[in-house]
Amino acid sequence: MLKKLAPVPSPPLTHAAVTCPFCGLLCDDLTITARGTQLTVMANGCPKASAAFKAADLPGPPLVNGQPASLEAALDAAARILQRSQQPLFAGLGTDVAGLRALLALAEPCHAIVDHLHGAAMARQVRVLQSRGLIQTTLAEVRNRADLVVLLGVDINTDFQRFAEICLTPAESLVPARLAARRVFQVGPAASKPRHAGVRVERVPCAAVDLRQTLSALRAELRGRPHRVGGRTRTGVTQLAHAIRAAQYTVIVWAPGQLAALDGDLIIASAGELIADINRERRAAGLVLGGNDGGQTALAVCTWITGYPLRLSFAGDTLDFDPLRYQTARLLGQGAVDALLWLSTFSAQPAPATPIPRIVIGNAASTLMAPNSVFLPAGTPGLDHPGQLLRTDAVVALPLRELRPTATPSAAALLLQLAQRLR
Amino acid sequence: MDGTLIELHGGRLYDPTHGINGEVRTLYLSADGIVPPPPDAGAIAQSYDVSGCVLMAGGIDIHTHIGGGKVNLARMLLPEDHDRHPVARGVHPRMGSGHAAPSTLTVGYRYAEMGYTACFEPAMLLANARQAHLELGDTPIVDKGAYVLLGNDDLFLRLLAAKQDPAVIGDYLAWTLDAAQAMAIKVVNPGGINAFKFNQRKLDIDEENTAYGLTPRQILLALAQGIHTLGLPHPLHIHGSNLGVPGNVETTLATIAALEGLPAHITHIQFHAYGNEGDRKFSSGAARLAEAINRQPNISMDVGQVMFGQTVTESGDSMRQYAGSAYASPKKTVLMDIECDAGCGIVPFRYRDQSFVNALQWAIGLELFLLAEDPWRVFLTTDHPNGAPFTSYPHLIRLLMDRSFRNEKLASINPAAAAASILGTLTREYTLYDIAILTRAAPAKSLGLSSLGHLGVGARGDVVVYTDQPNREAMFQRPRYVFKAGELIVRDGRVIGTPTGATHVVKPDYERSIERTVNDYFARFMTVRPQNLRVSAAEIEGEGRGRLVVYSPRRSA
Repeated sequence: MLKKLAPVPSPPLTHAAVTCPFCGLLCDDLTITARGTQLTVMANGCPKASAAFKAADLPGPPLVNGQPASLEAALDAAARILQRSQQPLFAGLGTDVAGLRALLALAEPCHAIVDHLHGAAMARQVRVLQSRGLIQTTLAEVRNRADLVVLLGVDINTDFQRFAEICLTPAESLVPARLAARRVFQVGPAASKPRHAGVRVERVPCAAVDLRQTLSALRAELRGRPHRVGGRTRTGVTQLAHAIRAAQYTVIVWAPGQLAALDGDLIIASAGELIADINRERRAAGLVLGGNDGGQTALAVCTWITGYPLRLSFAGDTLDFDPLRYQTARLLGQGAVDALLWLSTFSAQPAPATPIPRIVIGNAASTLMAPNSVFLPAGTPGLDHPGQLLRTDAVVALPLRELRPTATPSAAALLLQLAQRLR
Repeated sequence: MDGTLIELHGGRLYDPTHGINGEVRTLYLSADGIVPPPPDAGAIAQSYDVSGCVLMAGGIDIHTHIGGGKVNLARMLLPEDHDRHPVARGVHPRMGSGHAAPSTLTVGYRYAEMGYTACFEPAMLLANARQAHLELGDTPIVDKGAYVLLGNDDLFLRLLAAKQDPAVIGDYLAWTLDAAQAMAIKVVNPGGINAFKFNQRKLDIDEENTAYGLTPRQILLALAQGIHTLGLPHPLHIHGSNLGVPGNVETTLATIAALEGLPAHITHIQFHAYGNEGDRKFSSGAARLAEAINRQPNISMDVGQVMFGQTVTESGDSMRQYAGSAYASPKKTVLMDIECDAGCGIVPFRYRDQSFVNALQWAIGLELFLLAEDPWRVFLTTDHPNGAPFTSYPHLIRLLMDRSFRNEKLASINPAAAAASILGTLTREYTLYDIAILTRAAPAKSLGLSSLGHLGVGARGDVVVYTDQPNREAMFQRPRYVFKAGELIVRDGRVIGTPTGATHVVKPDYERSIERTVNDYFARFMTVRPQNLRVSAAEIEGEGRGRLVVYSPRRSA
């Protein structure tokens, strides 16, 4: 009788200085251990990163109408959907630079409309940029130069979880006096108060719906006029105005994705005006937190390849940029598109429910078992294959690495194969 | 020999590198580039009769903002530029848009259509180098390269303020070139971008950046010395202090003097050639500047010619762009302080021929071209898109070559500006040979591009065939044929081939011990790891997207 052999565990592989692709901060100092295909964050992961690496299972086989199929058969089925479509929508766009390049190359011959998972947040920010511009800054400037940071309705407890550690409480700064003097204000609901140890936060409490009014009050106060919020003067506003007058470099931080109220773009515009006001005599700048799920990458790559940011249509003879018209939910709801290509390799965001044919290029969490659909399993950039992503501050792009062995193709490779079938 | 052998016969060649001035010669091209006549005529696969045509090497733009964060911010800022200038389906191999801030694909196709086959992005930040190379990687056909910005980054200023050994500073320059995959080093408003972060609103050449106690003069000299010691082909590329400020010709003359005879390139010099005389306290400093440069063989310049119309100014000079934002048209500005590295400012602008200042800027640029005696030290640029989009080059060439055309235009601008300029008295007309120097031979020489900018055997095989016509604008706008690396890519102004150009980089030797300094600085102050900021060769060359051409200069003693 043969002795049953215990499986020989392959030695765990440890990777240092790994870029985390799971939020727009792109922290690049993680240590990750790979045991087979199981990934574990050993150092420098926030709770969100630790959970995302842990949960990143490899996807199963390709599916056609929920049934396992060969990759060739699934690609053929996906190509047929695109061939039959008069007006496809390419959405989600959770991928890296290579994936975006391949997707945009396919969008032109398919006459597709393109939108990102976070298209609404992007549109909010881009609208303000395009109407008046903005004075902006980046993470390392905040870390070193700021002596006043105002968190404007932004919650760094659920997202951008290492922002406080990286930017607010470093051990030292290029300008030590600024770090020593640094004050952090939080303007917004109580729940968003940063819970990071070592950050002393001064609060200007206000409901999310009052953010714009609070900013107006702050601008009035800075111009030496009395202010009213909800019919009365707020001491917090007065204190913040004093702090701004005393500061050398004020940074206002917001996350467009968290300003989901109807006046989100107006809040951003008010913040921009406040920053412009301060810059007449001293320095101030805005920091935009966003770009999750490859959002900053999608926005930037689409802008350089086409000239336009997202929510763009390739349907006509010329490109048509229209952030109001080309929203995923609206297009699906109105029946304005007849096929959906959903790309999602980072988060657990399933393809929207819709009766039209769906192609999903995605990770395990986006597996689609449904009639009238094709699922093409794709690797996650930075886990299963190398790539690049752009950070939230629109300057730094970071390399992604392959951390575990897998035969799962990249989204870019799948899109190139689709394009070949449509030639 | 590889691939198809092409013969171009009957054309007149302009190849200043080899002193060839309009001689009728036959050229042989293959995928290997320009090759000697084959021993066997049967080897020739295609023969083009280009009688009556003018042949030059592919054009080289030594200073054009076409890729990287600020260019992309400008694109994002200006949907109106793209709506007004769509590139419809079928015009080019792929769609695109834009006039002042075109999409990457459109940039590559348009340069190729004009017979330009190499473009150099002059303002890449180490912090943004990966994105810059990604954008250049999506710019088809043309060869490219980028200059990395130094002199406002806190690490350089710390090293200089600590009076570090020049050898250490040289190592840091070389490390940065290597990590960013750059072709040269540029400084923008030396120390001024950094000073603006500390709320200084101007910085004269001998004024201290208060945070570091350093003056632009000290920064310029340290960079120029470092570059000279490393033996880089292209000298320090200088965007000087006080850009656009009336009276800044004094600053520019002081900048030249500050270099103490070391080689340097003064870029978009038109923006730095202003006097403050006359009723409006704005006058031309072109004559004084040209005279100084004519006497100083260590200095080269590109002009940054202004053309009338809508454009957008994109610059690393956040200090001066903030000042200029008052004149934005349309009224919006993006400004950035960037990653303890540099900054940028995007200000849309409309140059108007009836504006005294704009019209005089136009005249000053042309004065500089016409007063500069040595065409090998002048390069043709509009500082795209800051003076005008690069698509205005054919018009600019006609202004230089055709005096009556120039005087016609001079008569149509703001009369007070026309009267304040000596342009009407300048009779010089550039020849085709001169144009070939300004747009091919001289930039290739300055950058050390041994296989570009000429038509000799061993050249890469970028050849442009223009139909000779008296209207030089029409001639240079639409070449009959453009060959890229021996392949026909443009026929009668239409792009028919989209090869991928190479990326040119310079890799001087350096002591690896500098990495300890860099790593320590990044660990203490920055938000990324330097090994992750470094752009790998595979990222540029992977998936057949590109090819690196590496130059290894030798250190001088």
